[in-house]
Amino acid sequence: MSAFPLGKRAGSITAGHGRIAASLHNSTVVFSELSCAYPLKLLSPHVTNAVAVAIVYMMSYGGGLVGGDCVKLSVDVGKGTKLVLLTQGSTKVFKTRPGKRASAPSAVTLPGSITTQKLDVTLAPQSALFLLPDPVTCFRSASYVQVQKFHLLEDASIIVLDWVSSGRKSLGEEWAFTRYYSINEVFVDTRRVARDVLLLEEPDSHDSDLQQPGSASPRMLKDRLAPYSCYAMLILYGPLTRGVVAEMSRKYQEISVYKTISPERLLWSLSHIDDSKGAVVRVAGIETEDVKSWLRSALRGLEDIVGNDVYCKAFL
Amino acid sequence: MDDSETYLLLLLADSNLPTGSFVASSGFESYVKHGFISSGSATDGTINFVHDSLGTYARSALPFVSDVHRVVATYSAQEEPLIDAALADIVALDELYEAMTLNHVTKRASKSQGVALLTLYSKGFSRPTKGPQPPHEARLATLVDRLKLMIRREETHGHLPICWGVLTGALGLSLERSQFLHLFLHARSLLSAGVRLNTLGPYNAQQILLHAVRPLVEAETVRCKDLRTLLTTESAHDSSWSDEDVAGPATTWPLGEILATRHDLQHSRIFNS
Repeated sequence: MSAFPLGKRAGSITAGHGRIAASLHNSTVVFSELSCAYPLKLLSPHVTNAVAVAIVYMMSYGGGLVGGDCVKLSVDVGKGTKLVLLTQGSTKVFKTRPGKRASAPSAVTLPGSITTQKLDVTLAPQSALFLLPDPVTCFRSASYVQVQKFHLLEDASIIVLDWVSSGRKSLGEEWAFTRYYSINEVFVDTRRVARDVLLLEEPDSHDSDLQQPGSASPRMLKDRLAPYSCYAMLILYGPLTRGVVAEMSRKYQEISVYKTISPERLLWSLSHIDDSKGAVVRVAGIETEDVKSWLRSALRGLEDIVGNDVYCKAFL
Repeated sequence: MDDSETYLLLLLADSNLPTGSFVASSGFESYVKHGFISSGSATDGTINFVHDSLGTYARSALPFVSDVHRVVATYSAQEEPLIDAALADIVALDELYEAMTLNHVTKRASKSQGVALLTLYSKGFSRPTKGPQPPHEARLATLVDRLKLMIRREETHGHLPICWGVLTGALGLSLERSQFLHLFLHARSLLSAGVRLNTLGPYNAQQILLHAVRPLVEAETVRCKDLRTLLTTESAHDSSWSDEDVAGPATTWPLGEILATRHDLQHSRIFNS
């Protein structure tokens, strides 16, 4: 499988592309399309569940992406259809392909070049998408751009989870990547209701001439994000998310902050958007595991919507 | 810089301007309350906050200041002014800023300061006497009045960077000066919040403003002065993606977002944001 002659396919328009079209037929979700090309892999396990819902795992060969990889996935969720998108393990972003893959032809890997992932989702009326991947982990010097756009038609619902961890802490990597740029944008009909753009990069990586002589030591990315090593952002929108948002909102309002002498292990915030038809939640945690268990518990209400058998596959 | 621009800068830099910035700490009060400043190094902690806050504010707001300033400058120079087109552009930018500011506390502070700037223009910078105005000034006054009316009718939001672009564009301040002053005022208001939160003393704040903050404001202005919002003409269903998409406004400090949003959760507080 790894002998796949990627170099010869470099000019192919389908490299890294994938497409999912799911729709509801007689209370079963069927895929009229489920296709992908290296290095993207899509897998839909059979689900035995009380609720009509489908899962697709988004994966990459070798368990990660390298500089120059460009993944592009387009998803159509049909009327009344529920789709859950998951990953198996965190999306690892390498500067170059690790291990023996580093010996691949140079045409395959451009060291230090950007890795991109694009996702375009269209949601028909009354449909729902739950995008609950594992976090993205950018390794040292990796450069990653992610652009995710969601187009909702009336009464469609969506939960988008986007999270990033600080790197391989066991190797001393802490926010040591070059660049992480993530855009999540939600449109309802044609109206833009949310556009979240997060840019994490080392200061002056592009403009070192801005270093002021005599100024204090430069403030690095890890200084800015300390003491946390994982940041998550959730966008929740639409009727199927109401219960989950109401419960989170209730818990949020119960918080009362008194002066503390050091930061808490986990911090989260919630803001309603678009006249409370949706919400944006942000979470920061000392460890990725802290954030994961918080998310698992905060989104527990989804069990009623996608079924317990499906929900328990997220946040493993 | 000519004399009239210098004079404008002196007016706009006045800390007594009724812009409501004295009730905003832009998340600094929450930052202190959540234990991100240790008492032993409160001054360093304040500078760090200014650094991070200014960085994310410049990257997320300055492109809006720049685009609005250009819209107003274009409108101001038109032989036959197209006021509806100018207003539509300003409102589109205001909508985009609303969609990108996913934090109700920051939104609230931004709107109250924004509308205060427009009021400042109408009441504070207009000519005192009735009678003939230079046509160019009358045209700008009409633009500001129309925008204020739209905000009052809740047809648009009136966010701070949008209104700053309108105010400075209408006053004829150059884009470069407008950008620099906006970031300077953001940093100064953080230090003034620091004095009231007792993380540093008034002399120390002045010293920091002169020596530590200046290079920060200069660097952020240089970094962000050419950024545009890039999105005003993009249609919602145009899913095409370009490199330009990643050169627009962005948040660079997610921790700051969380802390600013949690401002309202504080058991007691002295600022509104």
